[in-house]
Amino acid sequence: MRRLILSTLAALSLSTAVHAEVGGTLVLYTSQPNEDAQKTVDAFMAANPGVTVEFVRDGTPKIMAKFRAELEAGAPQADVLLIADSVTMEGLKAEGLLMAHPDADTSAYEPGIMDADKTWFATKLITTGIVYNTSAPVKPVSYADLTAPEVTAAFMMPSPLASGAATIHMVALTGTELGWGFYEALARQGAVADGGNGGVLKAVAGGEKLYGFLVDFLAIREAAAGAPIQFVFPTEGVSAVSEPVAILANTTNPDTAKAFVDFLISESGQQVAADMGYLPAHPAVTPPAGFPARDTIKILPFDAAKALADEEANKTRFTEMFGG
Amino acid sequence: MPAPLREAPARWPGLRRITGEPVLLALIVLAAFALFVLPLGAIGRLAVSGTGGGPDAFVSAVNSRSVQRAFWHSLESAALSAVAATLVGGALALLIGLTDVRGRTALSFAILMLMMIPPHVTAIAWIQMLGPSSVLLQALNLAPAPGSTHPLYSREGVIGLLALQQVPLVYLTLRAALRALPRDLAEAARVNGAGPWRVLTRVVLPLLRPAVLAGFALAFVSALGNFGVPALLGIPGRYVTVPVLMWQRLASSGPSVLADMAVLATLIGAVAVAAVWAQMRLMRHASVALIGPPQQPLRLTLGRWRSPVELALWAVLAFAVVAPLLAMLATALVPTYGVPLRADTVTLRHFHEVILNQTVTARAFANSAALAVLAGLGVAALALAVGALSRGRLRGGARAVTTLAEVAYAVPGLVISVGFIIAFLRPLPGLGISLYGTHAIILGAYLSAFLAVGLKPVGVAFAVLDPALHEAARVSGAGFWRRLWRIDLPLIAPAAASGAVLVMLTAWNEVTLSSILWTRGTETLGTVIFNYEDGGYSTLSSAMSILSVAATLALMGLLHRLGRNLPPGIIPWRG
Repeated sequence: MRRLILSTLAALSLSTAVHAEVGGTLVLYTSQPNEDAQKTVDAFMAANPGVTVEFVRDGTPKIMAKFRAELEAGAPQADVLLIADSVTMEGLKAEGLLMAHPDADTSAYEPGIMDADKTWFATKLITTGIVYNTSAPVKPVSYADLTAPEVTAAFMMPSPLASGAATIHMVALTGTELGWGFYEALARQGAVADGGNGGVLKAVAGGEKLYGFLVDFLAIREAAAGAPIQFVFPTEGVSAVSEPVAILANTTNPDTAKAFVDFLISESGQQVAADMGYLPAHPAVTPPAGFPARDTIKILPFDAAKALADEEANKTRFTEMFGG
Repeated sequence: MPAPLREAPARWPGLRRITGEPVLLALIVLAAFALFVLPLGAIGRLAVSGTGGGPDAFVSAVNSRSVQRAFWHSLESAALSAVAATLVGGALALLIGLTDVRGRTALSFAILMLMMIPPHVTAIAWIQMLGPSSVLLQALNLAPAPGSTHPLYSREGVIGLLALQQVPLVYLTLRAALRALPRDLAEAARVNGAGPWRVLTRVVLPLLRPAVLAGFALAFVSALGNFGVPALLGIPGRYVTVPVLMWQRLASSGPSVLADMAVLATLIGAVAVAAVWAQMRLMRHASVALIGPPQQPLRLTLGRWRSPVELALWAVLAFAVVAPLLAMLATALVPTYGVPLRADTVTLRHFHEVILNQTVTARAFANSAALAVLAGLGVAALALAVGALSRGRLRGGARAVTTLAEVAYAVPGLVISVGFIIAFLRPLPGLGISLYGTHAIILGAYLSAFLAVGLKPVGVAFAVLDPALHEAARVSGAGFWRRLWRIDLPLIAPAAASGAVLVMLTAWNEVTLSSILWTRGTETLGTVIFNYEDGGYSTLSSAMSILSVAATLALMGLLHRLGRNLPPGIIPWRG
């Protein structure tokens, strides 16, 4: 009897312990657009009353610079990172800055898109392709079409110095037979590389530029809202990032951070992403309107380990071409 | 030897001597050390002797093409925009200050709006007014062809908007100078038969030369440190200035580039200080001591030209102030950038988003309001303390602090914030906590950069304070603190308040200092707007800008009302 009471008490205290830990404040550093970041944390907070999630938004390289500065000050602020690409995550993991979440349920996902050590988790599939203003004289269907001089002159891409997705796009594209020569041709003919994806969207939708590289969801979503733009999956293929989420090793609220990760990779969390216009990473969640069937999207191959090793060299090479 | 008749016998005369001015001086020195010596010194130390600094770093910076370009762009844009601002601001000051146009207070207020709408908001508004998808230009059939680069994304765009921002500085300087001109000279000329034109060209304009020089120098230094305009127009226009280059590198690389930043900061800081030094030397040559009661030296009657001139003034101001704001409002009301504003497209979605959804909005308003008020009060208190010391036996200390404040005011704001990061990034020795990421570091940067703004009026007020009052109080046995509290404070308060008002409005609107100091929880209005625009969320940045302009206008309106019951001179656009 005594043992029963004791074990019941123990079980009770254990279960309350598990639940009591999910609460408090969580700070998210993210590269998602502000509105999407707000919707994401709002959905999580609605599912977990008592939790407050605050977020800071900037392009992946900039948010990482902020994170590094705070780390150096001995006062890191972020608990959770949700940024564009897994290459940056691999770098952080190698430095021991990420906390593993071994209990995360990734069984529904295709193997290979999640980190095998469960330190970072893919939350979406974000591809980068071509966007054009509907008043443009040329309707490009492939990357090769962009090297026509009159197209290049009105072309803009996000800079790898400001956008994680743009970094991956550069690495993936230069790894194909187009190679660096393609980027050199663009630079020579006056293409502009500046800022993040938001800036490209603004320039192409506003008519300052007519063509650009852009992430799929921004183009498809804003076109649906009436912006005079059209997204193209180029014939050569698109690059893809997985917008991974990771818990930082310095977090003071690990259980809530884990709950946040669990939420993002759960089916309902994936539905939130799909509702915002993202291609979900979860195979069972239906892609939003405007996307072709997932198996028809051709994704360019990409070597993450090599990308991490060449990161500085690639950025330097790019900066020499486009300035920065 | 008879006892000197300096102070009435106090109970502990020795103690009194050291608890009075020396204590205040110690406090001031401590503040000056934290606000000026540590951050600016940290830049110098890192640039000269830190890892990644030293002479080699200077050589490689000077030889770098991007640095050379940025320096040239900084100097060119600051000089040309200062010339333009001096011409326009000067013309406005003469027209409004010397003729019989009506509605001078309203005109002054409108001109001041050019300065009170922060640079990044001005840039966003003009981008939207003159771009290919501009509602205004499309209606006039003047919109640039789709695919053509935005006309403002250029050297001319940066210089033009910088000039517009500096016009009020020149205007205010010249209006103040005009008001201080003694009437004797103009009267003498008139008695001798000089016509209005001759009085203007032979008496008024020559006397204004020092003020014109001062206005030009202010405009130059202010344009040199401007960040909002060159960041939003110059980055897409490939016209990068030094502050923008520093921000770009720091924002995308973090603390690893601090040594490079220190080198750049030292170089551009030296340019700014040299400019101020040259101006002070020139002023000494150009200025003439004048005495006599001030009065408007000339009152030109415009006659039948009055209404056309008034109309032209208001039309120009409407184009420069109101039209860009309307363009920005139009952007805030369309569903997504690039959609024309029509009855069926208008939406309040973005206002809803920034007010009700984005939690950062409330945080930014609260942060900016608190920081602005604290900066205003802090500057007023510091200025009062420095002023009190400036007339005692420790005036050397006051002079040193004033010089440091002027240097900090002259160097670009981004240099100050880089200095604060270098000095306060590492945890404070002994305490183990870092100021980085707290409100304190932003407040410190504000106090450092804006103290000079508060020192000026207080310095002038102390200079004209009759020393007999002090002597009387001293002889009656009042100690240092008592004299400060009962004599200086009531008499200097209006001047200190006028400085505080300017500092408050500046801090409320600034983005330069906080652009690299903000972290989660310490976002300011400026950084939120700037980051929306920098990220490409123009509809959100427009909605947020409209809200901040509305708040600024409300604040100015409130001050204007309060100004009725205040001594003249506290509210800059009144009187």
